[in-house]
Amino acid sequence: MKKLLLTMVLAAFATTGFAADKVRFGTEGAYAPWNFMDDNGKLAGFEIELGAELCRRAKLECEFVVNEWDSIIPNLMAGNYDVIMAGMSVTEKRKETVMFSDEYYPADPSRYAAASGDKFDFDNLKGKKIGAQGATVQAGYLEANLKEGNTIKLYEKPDQSVADLAAGNIDLLLADDSFLKPVVDGSGGNIVFVGPGVQIGGGVALGMRPKDTELAGKMNAALAEVKKDGTLDNMIKEFFKKGPFYATEEKSAMTMESLLKKINALEMRVKELEKK
Amino acid sequence: MIESIIESLVNLLGEDWRAGLEYITNGKHMMWYASIRFTLIAAIAGAAFAVLFGLLGAALKQSAIAPLRWIGSFYVNIVRGVPDVLFFLFFPLAFEQFVEYIFSRTRCTAEEIASNAGSWPPCDAAQWYLEGNDYLILACVSFGIVYGAFAANVIHGAMQAVPHGQLEAAQAYGFTKKQVFWRFKVRQMWTYALPGLSNVWMLLLKATSLLSLLQIADIVLWADRLGAPNYLARAGMVHPDWRWKYYLVLFVFYILMTMLSERVFDWLQRRANRGMVEVN
Repeated sequence: MKKLLLTMVLAAFATTGFAADKVRFGTEGAYAPWNFMDDNGKLAGFEIELGAELCRRAKLECEFVVNEWDSIIPNLMAGNYDVIMAGMSVTEKRKETVMFSDEYYPADPSRYAAASGDKFDFDNLKGKKIGAQGATVQAGYLEANLKEGNTIKLYEKPDQSVADLAAGNIDLLLADDSFLKPVVDGSGGNIVFVGPGVQIGGGVALGMRPKDTELAGKMNAALAEVKKDGTLDNMIKEFFKKGPFYATEEKSAMTMESLLKKINALEMRVKELEKK
Repeated sequence: MIESIIESLVNLLGEDWRAGLEYITNGKHMMWYASIRFTLIAAIAGAAFAVLFGLLGAALKQSAIAPLRWIGSFYVNIVRGVPDVLFFLFFPLAFEQFVEYIFSRTRCTAEEIASNAGSWPPCDAAQWYLEGNDYLILACVSFGIVYGAFAANVIHGAMQAVPHGQLEAAQAYGFTKKQVFWRFKVRQMWTYALPGLSNVWMLLLKATSLLSLLQIADIVLWADRLGAPNYLARAGMVHPDWRWKYYLVLFVFYILMTMLSERVFDWLQRRANRGMVEVN
């Protein structure tokens, strides 16, 4: 027993020292194409690539850790990681606890998805079962606006909500357009977008503890860089087929470095194609 | 290694099987198979702790000193009455808070505590970052405490079941009190305790499916991740909700583990019965 306690205390020491030099990013790992686990069991997606790019530019050593969505803010505060990068929209409510960076994805209307063939009167939704992921802006919207006369069902994980929609357990699913788009496209016509988009919450940004202003400064500087040279727009285009949102006129005056990088990437791509 | 196994299986079964075989041996599935280690570690280490706490609890329960006896009864009765899920969630967090409290008393300065009033922990030095392995250790200890209470009850009963004449005879032969306890009471106790302990083990084994509650990436969590519907080709094979298939595999896994455990307990029982008169 004594030995065990000792190991535990030692482990605690070891990890406290460790956490200081590495910046840890908390993500959900179940929200394609933002962040997900690929078939190799590794984290992948838009935010994983963008996070790595930001750290490279800010000259920080970073790693991603997976954390469930519903405890992602408390565990940031508890210090399990230093940054939330999990498709989190900026809202007034969240701003009370979390310090947000500049956005890296613009405010995106939420959409309703339903089984194909179902008809809805969106001016007067009544008696419907409507789903969303818990602790999201969509969940807040449903609770505030559509609770009367409808049944709201909240899910712990986004894929559960999709599975329940596909199984017919809910009539409508309200979620980010960027998340639903691949679901609708990949469902073979079984799941379709219905009704108008709903604008809830602001853009997507990194979440940090309010006292970590130095880290936020570094992240914002790196974000400004990737916005300016078009890297972020390219990533958004690659993953969401949208944009460009951020590149300004200065895009034409690209830096030598980024041009060289692009040429290198193109060469690699050509080589890959030749191989095939 | 895996590629050559797939090749030989494809040769054996035909080309149609290739995609399926490659799918169930991809990195994500391999991590699922590897995560069995958490279940096994939790079960075995949990059982070791449970026997330890069980012996301790049983010893306390029949102590000659009244306060110790009360502690033993309190432990056995209270912990047995708390749902294992609840205790499993409570203990690691409570322990973490306790450690952070100790740290904050020794590491934080008075100014830090004053300036961070209301936030926990009061200073960074007192922060204890719980990670996967810490959670696993805490999970094992929680299992040990919960199932130790059941084991204590079983062991206590089994000790009472040892025929009193045996102990008196031992005493008459001049064995010391300690020797009588260890060489006669505990030695013979196992015969009576094993059937009950095997029950406790089964409960513990089933409870290992709770590990994912502590964010340990165990077989249940991976089954969930693998079975979740995927509509994005970039994220791997596109498939609808397959969780039931993966849960079915877990059913089979747990049933196999149960069958294996029965065998092991049969063998243990035979060993414990050596040299004993048939008990009925």
